[in-house]
Amino acid sequence: MSVPDYMQCAEDHQTLLVVVQPVGIVPEENFFRIYKRISTVSQINVRDSQRVLYIRYRHHYPPENNEWGDFQTHRKVVGLIIITDCSSAKDWPQTFEKFHLQKEIYGSTLYDSRLFVFGLQEEVAEQPRTDVAFYPSYDECETVEKRIEDFIESLFIVLESKRLDRATDKSGDKIPLLCVPFEKKDFVGLDTDSRHYKKRCQGRMRKHVGDLCLQAGMLQDSLVHYHMAVELLRSVNDFLWLGAALEGLCSASVIYHYPGGTGGKAGARRAQGSSLPTEASNRHRPGALTSNGINADTSAEIGRAKNCLGPEDIIDKYKEAISYYSKYKNAGVIELEACVKAVRVLAIQKRSMEASEFLQNAVYINLRQLSEEEKIQRYSILSELYERIGFHRKSAFFKRVAAMQCVAPSISEPGWRACYKLLLETLPGYSLSLDPKDFSKGTHKGWAAVQMRLLHELVYASRRMGNPALSVRHLSFLLQTMLDFLSDQEKKDVTQSLENYTSKCPGTMQFITLPEGLRLPPVPFTKLPIVRSVKLLNLPVSLRPQKMKSLLGQNMSAKSPFIYSPIIAHNRGEERSKKIDFQWVQGDVCEVQLMVYNPMPFELRVENMGLLTAGVEFESLPAALSLPAESGLYPVTLVGVPQTTGQITINGYHTSVFGVFSDCLLDNLPGLKTNGCAVEVIPALPRLQISTSLPRSAHTLQPSSGDDISTSVSVQLYNGETQQLVIKLENIGTEPLEKLEVTAKTVNSKEKLYGEFLSWKLEDTLSQFPLKPGKIATFNVNIKVKLDFSCQENLLQDLSDDGISISGLPLSSPFRQIVKPRVDSKPINATESGKVGDFSHVKTLEAILNFKYSGGPGHADGYYRNLSLGLHVEVEPSVFFTHVSTLPATSTRQCHLLLDVFNSTEHELTVSAKNNEDLVLHAGECQRMAIQVDKFNFESFPDSPGERIQFANPKQLEEERQQAKGLEINSKLDVCWKIISFNIWEASVEGVLNQLVLEHLQLAPLQWVYLLLCSRDLHYINFYWKGDSLASIEEHFLIIMPYLVATVFI
Amino acid sequence: MAVCVAVIAKENYPLYIRSIPTENELKFHYTVHTSLDVVDEKISAMGKALVDQRELYLGLLYPTEDYKVYGYVTNSKVKFVMVVDSSNTALRDNEIRSMFRKLHNSYTDVMCNPFYNPGDCIHSRAFDNMVTSMMMQVC
Repeated sequence: MSVPDYMQCAEDHQTLLVVVQPVGIVPEENFFRIYKRISTVSQINVRDSQRVLYIRYRHHYPPENNEWGDFQTHRKVVGLIIITDCSSAKDWPQTFEKFHLQKEIYGSTLYDSRLFVFGLQEEVAEQPRTDVAFYPSYDECETVEKRIEDFIESLFIVLESKRLDRATDKSGDKIPLLCVPFEKKDFVGLDTDSRHYKKRCQGRMRKHVGDLCLQAGMLQDSLVHYHMAVELLRSVNDFLWLGAALEGLCSASVIYHYPGGTGGKAGARRAQGSSLPTEASNRHRPGALTSNGINADTSAEIGRAKNCLGPEDIIDKYKEAISYYSKYKNAGVIELEACVKAVRVLAIQKRSMEASEFLQNAVYINLRQLSEEEKIQRYSILSELYERIGFHRKSAFFKRVAAMQCVAPSISEPGWRACYKLLLETLPGYSLSLDPKDFSKGTHKGWAAVQMRLLHELVYASRRMGNPALSVRHLSFLLQTMLDFLSDQEKKDVTQSLENYTSKCPGTMQFITLPEGLRLPPVPFTKLPIVRSVKLLNLPVSLRPQKMKSLLGQNMSAKSPFIYSPIIAHNRGEERSKKIDFQWVQGDVCEVQLMVYNPMPFELRVENMGLLTAGVEFESLPAALSLPAESGLYPVTLVGVPQTTGQITINGYHTSVFGVFSDCLLDNLPGLKTNGCAVEVIPALPRLQISTSLPRSAHTLQPSSGDDISTSVSVQLYNGETQQLVIKLENIGTEPLEKLEVTAKTVNSKEKLYGEFLSWKLEDTLSQFPLKPGKIATFNVNIKVKLDFSCQENLLQDLSDDGISISGLPLSSPFRQIVKPRVDSKPINATESGKVGDFSHVKTLEAILNFKYSGGPGHADGYYRNLSLGLHVEVEPSVFFTHVSTLPATSTRQCHLLLDVFNSTEHELTVSAKNNEDLVLHAGECQRMAIQVDKFNFESFPDSPGERIQFANPKQLEEERQQAKGLEINSKLDVCWKIISFNIWEASVEGVLNQLVLEHLQLAPLQWVYLLLCSRDLHYINFYWKGDSLASIEEHFLIIMPYLVATVFI
Repeated sequence: MAVCVAVIAKENYPLYIRSIPTENELKFHYTVHTSLDVVDEKISAMGKALVDQRELYLGLLYPTEDYKVYGYVTNSKVKFVMVVDSSNTALRDNEIRSMFRKLHNSYTDVMCNPFYNPGDCIHSRAFDNMVTSMMMQVC
């Protein structure tokens, strides 16, 4: 007895063992088909009695186990069914011979046997035999079941006769001593006449009869016999058989208490009295106690009370039996099986703790050297039993041990497939699922060390199985879910092996379906690299689409008649949180910025990283990146081109890391920051590229400019110079350019600028429109710089103190008081006084040219683009008017304007004015230039519009007026300068002319001759006032005195 | 005297596990992990008893060839498992009990730390030292 049957359960004690075996060459498939049909006949109601016979079929049974048949009769092979294939009548005698040989193996214990011959007609046989049946083929054997039933009937007859024979043995007769194989030699030479020996024989026989009664379906009788046997054997200390008797008692009680069976195989066991209606329901309720009255045998009912063991007693008796068995080393298998049976009973009783003790004991039962296969079987069954009592972890542990046993180094052909299958079954016990989604929520909590080990084993097993895809999947899973628990060295090792595997079989995003039906979900590497934020980027400023403002205003008005409603505002706020307030343009490259970091201790190479989108056809342009070891946050920009219009949603990104392709959805990423992932794609717009005749500027415009400038150019000009800027407009997009608007804005307003800085004629350019893709149009802009030509303030102020212009006459004193503050308060001069001290000071002017353009389908939708060109002009000083003064000319309507001109350039230049000769100035030279001018009648100027007067304060008004006058004077003077070999450039005196000079140049509004007694000269009195009307001189003198400025020329 | 000390969260994942460095660490992981079956079983059996009368000490969970595994469960279902060398027969049940009580006190101190998030792994030097002292004591 060396091969334990781990599947045994207590009910097996009541079964008859029948072995079904093939002889000769029988296709396995056919054999099992017949075997299955035979197995269906597992219980028979014999001769209309209440007794039920149970049959246990085996297709393989070790003959040495059969030798223990006397010890426990259910171990005895009582029936043999041989299935054989016989194609011709010639083979028949040979086949028949084989049948007999096979019978010899179990011969000593067989009650009866049958031979089923397939492939032969019955006629072949010489004479019909009851133990041989012929069937033409495996398909035409309808009577198999019937024959089996007959066979069982015959077995029953033998069993019944044996039972009756043994039961009626009188004590006077010589009772043979039943013994187990290993006992035989112990009893040699023993006194067979002693009381002790007789009692032993009696006890053993009682126990044997009990077994037979149980098999014959007489439960109550067996209980009685077992009880008697226990008493007899206890008195003679025959422990092995005492154990067997106790176990028999337990089995009978279990059968009584749990008609559903303890084996857990639904429907495998039937309740006693299968004719009873309650049977069906009980069968499916393991553990259900039979209600009273199931057994119709009333005599048995009486006996039950004292003979049958209670549930508690069953366990106690099992314990006792096992303790007796354990005294015998050779009974290890019996002990082990008893343990297993007890555990099954306890599992039904839901007494896990005690069951685990039995199992713990079973683990330590040392059988002889087990074969590897037996070890696997043993561990598997331990696992199954632990599972049954709810010890999932223990079960998983043993299953894993069994799996490891499958591939033990001592096995010549390791069963990797079986190992893998068993390992998969351990997953629930280690609370591990192969779905990475279960791990994405929060930090991983589990037995990392144990789980990692299991995953490693899965990887290895699947690799050895020859399924690299599977090992890649498991390895990816390990890397993804256990990343936090891997040491740096392990990380390296795991990725190294992953790369090795993927070189043969790249990881995919497909489900892997195992033959067992398990589906392994894909494992996206959301942690390699870890993405912390996803930000959709707006297009660069020059490509950003802008909506043309319709007269109706914002779409808000279309949505609701209310200007403000909290409900709408709330809704919109929510909408905005998901949707982004800028647009992408069809056909243009759009960007998404990810902040990623590499958790690995080595450089991480991410290949083929691109965006996953929905809603719009999107051409993703994958990127490859290499992240340094344990990098901090690292920005990565993923780009793509939307091909159609509509709402686009960024769902995630795909990567290829270590040869594993992953699709990472943003929804599954924990702790992700995003500004929304849906953006609108508007129809295509043209793209404009501008190139100019001027060099590109290194200067960036001051931040105060507000606009983003795509390109900026710079030019260096002398003050007063004019240059033409040729701008080439190229349509580099795919849509025709239909509309173009140009505006200019001067940014740097610190310098006072005279005249028009930038001027252009758009019509010439527009005539070339619409501009087809790839075509170029030109656009000319004139740049004219005319800054202040004046010099320092203090120089100019000298004029007022100049004796030439102003006399120290007391008469003029009231006016001077008024004049003085006005001079001081000139802001421009005051601020510039410091700066302009250095003549070579370079001034800069900055302007922005805005090109608004549109075309194609985007234009139809009302979008345009804005391109800005920054213009940076460095103005070098050319000539300066360092001193200005006037001299009266011969006529009162004329005067001489004296300008001290200073050449600050390094070139020789000429200065000319209207009607004057050219004045040649060498570099750094200063000369006076006198220009005869007609005095101006400023009154002819239109006054500023009335409304302006109302708002502007008098001082501003004054300045405005002065500016206008300056312009007038300048246009008359027409001062030009010229560097030899260069063009003629204008110089402006506008800035130079201060209030005082202006007054000198002004034509007197009133002129009269006023005779002074003390002088014979004529005196001109110039009046200038701010009033509108001139009523009378006297009145004027009196009323508008405070505003009056008068200068007396003597 | 203890060869392995583990603190298991209510949800049966380890908060702390430490074993003597000379032995195979994974083995103790397996031992402690499988012992949870018994702990669960004992707790569910105890669940019927009144809460205030509940004994926190679970006693011997199961003996293996080389080790004995003892268990202890707090009222908040945090489990302490201690693996003791079975050759150490001098160790009495009462001593085990007092060791668990010490462990419990130390664990309470860890929980009192405002910077400790319940459910996180325990990284406390004080707790570590206490466990070390329990491992060193006799052996």
